[in-house]
Amino acid sequence: MGKLRQQVNKWMMQNLELPADVVMDLPRITMIGQLHIYIENHRGVKAFSNEQLTLKLKQGTLVIKGSEFVIKTILPEEILLEGTISSVDFGKE
Amino acid sequence: MKTNWNHIKGYVRLEIIGQDSSSFINTCLQSDIQIWDIQPLDHNRVLVSISISDLRKAKAILKENKLKIRIKEKKGTPFLLKKMWKRNGFILGMAAFIFVLFLLSNMIWNINVTGANPKTEYELRKAAVEIGVTKGKFIFLLPNVREIQRQLTEKMDNVTWIGVTQHGTSYRLEVVEKEIPEAKPITGPRHLVATKEAVIHSVFVEKGQPIVGVNDYVKKGSLLVSGLIGKEKKPQLVSAKGKIWGEVWYQTEVEVPLNTSFQTYTGKYKNRHYVSLFGLNLPVYGFSDGEFKDKTETLNETPLYLAKWKMPFSYIKKEVRETDGVKRSYTKAEAIEVGKKMAKKELGKKLPEDAKIKGEKVWQQNVSNGKVKLTMLYQVIENIASEQPIPIQQGE
Repeated sequence: MGKLRQQVNKWMMQNLELPADVVMDLPRITMIGQLHIYIENHRGVKAFSNEQLTLKLKQGTLVIKGSEFVIKTILPEEILLEGTISSVDFGKE
Repeated sequence: MKTNWNHIKGYVRLEIIGQDSSSFINTCLQSDIQIWDIQPLDHNRVLVSISISDLRKAKAILKENKLKIRIKEKKGTPFLLKKMWKRNGFILGMAAFIFVLFLLSNMIWNINVTGANPKTEYELRKAAVEIGVTKGKFIFLLPNVREIQRQLTEKMDNVTWIGVTQHGTSYRLEVVEKEIPEAKPITGPRHLVATKEAVIHSVFVEKGQPIVGVNDYVKKGSLLVSGLIGKEKKPQLVSAKGKIWGEVWYQTEVEVPLNTSFQTYTGKYKNRHYVSLFGLNLPVYGFSDGEFKDKTETLNETPLYLAKWKMPFSYIKKEVRETDGVKRSYTKAEAIEVGKKMAKKELGKKLPEDAKIKGEKVWQQNVSNGKVKLTMLYQVIENIASEQPIPIQQGE
């Protein structure tokens, strides 16, 4: 069932030119240089420290590494992180 | 924008001490508690901003998660106000200063009188005190300048005109005094001559030689009482004095329209009070215009001053008076009667005070174009004598 739904979504995205983040519930990540990162569609904070922020996603996790991290704003589906960002990784889990 | 709003509502910086701070963040998100500026300090301490309205809920969650908190900073208007209230003397002082400045700049500090001699000035100042225009009075409690001018002019008899102007906190009263000509002392020899054509009615001579008798007809300028008395050979010059009453005819023309319409006040009125802010009039008291059919409105504005600057707000009193259109019509007989009265009044203005009206006669009357035209003749007994000095000839 889940597999079929994913297939349909993928097809819709490719053939109807709908934005992927809406159709497939994927995170939309906006970065401004190394200073800001803005993530929509997350599912909560898993771990947070000065050098690392781990966010839960619908599938898997998002690991942001860097230094001097401050969460400027956090809303149920959005998060704005400030600091010096050095890497953004997608992790399975 | 959101941060600004939080600033107004007030927020606190909390230090959360404990291992599992990320679960606290997630719980906050789920239960709709806004947190922001989350800054990890070290592995078990996190600094967080939270609005004071959410603080109670957040504390409950923290207790569940067994986390300790420490309030680091209090920010925003409520805390600022609290802080300011601790220094309330300072604020009160500032408010009191502005209040006093405001009061002082709406007070009379000076009354200048120009154009009056010391006696008139003293009287004028006294009259002003009676009205209430004195040093230290509040300008907004006094009637306006026009009204003060009217009242002062009414009170002062020996001045022609008083101009009242207000310059900030000082009033300037300009006075034009009545120039009362000084009575000329009787000097030198003189005759009495007639001022107008008349028939002599009676003669009272105190000094001098009467030339005319009762019922004599005299022309303008003819000699009535001579200043030369004594024998013809040895005349003596005196200052003739006396009253010669003569019968004089006056002709007056009046016109009385049969129909006139004019407006009168019925006596009903309504006052409306406004506070004017930046030219916008806000009604304060008195909201209806009285629903008068015909009305006239007068505006009285009292501006307020702070130091020398006119404030953008002022107090306005609007008087609405009901007027009534009245039509008046006379019959011909009534019009003649009114015309006679008018003519008599008119004549009264021209005559000296001691003159007497002996008789009146309607000389001509005609009605045309809705008007009654009257020509009246009056028989008036008045003093016709006037002094004429006798030139002193050299060598006599």
